[in-house]
Amino acid sequence: MVLPGPRIRVESGAMRCSGSWTVDRIERVERLPLGLAWRVGSAVVLDASAVVAMDMAGAWLLHRTARGLERSGRTVTLRLRPEHEAILRIVTSSGVVAGPPRARDRPRVLSAVGRRAWISARELGGLVSFFGEMGVTAARARTGPLRVRWRQVLQHVQTAGFEALPTAALLSFFIGVVLAYQGSALFRPSGAGILVADLVGLAMLRELSPLVTAIIVAGRSGSAYAAQIGAMKMTGEIDSLRAVGLSPIEVLVLPRIAALLVVLPLLTVAADVLGVAGAMVVARAELAMGSGEFLGRVAREIRASDYLLGVCKAPVFAVIIAAVGCYQGLQVADDAESVGRRTTVAVVQSMFLVVVADGFVLVVSRLFGI
Amino acid sequence: MATSVPSAPEIVIAVRDVHTTVGGDVIHAGVTLDVYRGRIFALAGPSGCGKTLLLREALALHVPDSGSIRVLGRDVVGIGDEEALELRQRCGVVFERGALFSSLTVAENVALPLRERSRLGRTLRDEIAALKIALVGLPPSAGPKYPSQLSGGMRRRAALARAIALDPELLFLDEPSAGLDPASGKEFEELVRHLNELLGLTVFVVTRDLGLLWNAADHVAFLGEGRIVAAGTMAEVSRSDEPLVRAYFPGTRSGPAGARP
Repeated sequence: MVLPGPRIRVESGAMRCSGSWTVDRIERVERLPLGLAWRVGSAVVLDASAVVAMDMAGAWLLHRTARGLERSGRTVTLRLRPEHEAILRIVTSSGVVAGPPRARDRPRVLSAVGRRAWISARELGGLVSFFGEMGVTAARARTGPLRVRWRQVLQHVQTAGFEALPTAALLSFFIGVVLAYQGSALFRPSGAGILVADLVGLAMLRELSPLVTAIIVAGRSGSAYAAQIGAMKMTGEIDSLRAVGLSPIEVLVLPRIAALLVVLPLLTVAADVLGVAGAMVVARAELAMGSGEFLGRVAREIRASDYLLGVCKAPVFAVIIAAVGCYQGLQVADDAESVGRRTTVAVVQSMFLVVVADGFVLVVSRLFGI
Repeated sequence: MATSVPSAPEIVIAVRDVHTTVGGDVIHAGVTLDVYRGRIFALAGPSGCGKTLLLREALALHVPDSGSIRVLGRDVVGIGDEEALELRQRCGVVFERGALFSSLTVAENVALPLRERSRLGRTLRDEIAALKIALVGLPPSAGPKYPSQLSGGMRRRAALARAIALDPELLFLDEPSAGLDPASGKEFEELVRHLNELLGLTVFVVTRDLGLLWNAADHVAFLGEGRIVAAGTMAEVSRSDEPLVRAYFPGTRSGPAGARP
């Protein structure tokens, strides 16, 4: 059964409405009454007695048309079918008035910049105090009976470390390949092809392995931590942890940090090995350098301090990634959108801080001549 | 569409011999029930008996193994996606958790179905949303608030406002009073009654709330062990001798409808 659509017919001093005035149809006549210019002071008859079906949206449209005409000084007589009177009464008694849509206050450029800066500053402050809170909790855990949640730590070692191994290994292998390839193109013409070993060895062991590993782990695990803890925050699990007297930092954050502290140096070492192996493959193909010769050169030219510096950066990065991921997770508000936003922020912020920390280590190591 | 006999009330939902198994467990073993137009129908029963599942089946969100379900004159078992969408547009649903979109304000939540399912202009849409918000008894100040800023009872009202945004003929409520304090539950119950009388809305409510069963429901069906074990008015159901019903309503023999001889 298809009812006829809504219609408005204008006759002398009367607006005759017919058809079905329902929410799915009335867009056709929505703007029509506005275009009609009734003489000021005239009496208008709004005749809806031919309307076959009316819902609240249709009744509202009639009501606002009538009110609009009255406001501008016309007298309105509304005629309705008796069965539609009830619905019109609901609409009129609701107390809702039609009016111009409220304008949204749009932030100006300057206030937007100020607001962003304030938010960033507060964020940084929050992160710093979070590190402090973490330190206090860890210290307390050391003075009291040390409760290490081995099960959880091992589980995180499995997911953040073991399962990340293929990705980290493959990526660093190819970085080794690319570096060696570029290096051999650079050094071969001057007959110094053997320097490829120095280049790749130094770059991978000192800088790239820790950095690449940290970026992979930040993307895989930092985001996962933020999302996991964020979802727990939303469902009230964090509050129930607090309610049973457990600190979320002790139960959720410290095991994750401990796991990454274990995992990141190991992954870095794996990345070192695979990066050098990638370079070795290229050196054999491009420079006809045997693997014994290549590895001998690496062993002679790279100091132990270079290698150790690279590996020692990994725990620093681990703390940054895990702490930022967990912190952002704990900042999640009650809406689904904030989980997504906080997860993104966790990854971006931890990568940024990792690179900043890397630069800091570089400056310090220069000062001490390492 | 409408029945030709005016004296017999039109059946809006007709469930016939529905069987459903989920993961090997038999949930429905031949459920049959009728919901009449303009009435409040309550489906009661112990938790896990498949009340919500039946509601989902009526909305074509779950397909039963066998049997037929007709909603608003249309067979929903084996319904096409397009038709299902059209049918759901004529129904309003409030799920157990309310499920308001947390990133939208209350007014935006209510206006969302209007924006997606009608071609109305923005001003009219906002006004109709304000109308529905007023209708469910929320103050106008609730409109620009986010769901997380509202109390549980207000959130339930906002979800109801969204469900009636498109003037549905049929309203599905899943445990509307769960998690509300008795006073808010009572208010919500009155609101449902009020909307039912005001708009002639047919209401299908899944509930375990005795207040709602006694005071709001016109018809009650009790689902247990996969079948409707008792049906009728609440007074009739509470007088049933079925052990399942007895276990569920202990002491209601002397309930508001009077004691059994």
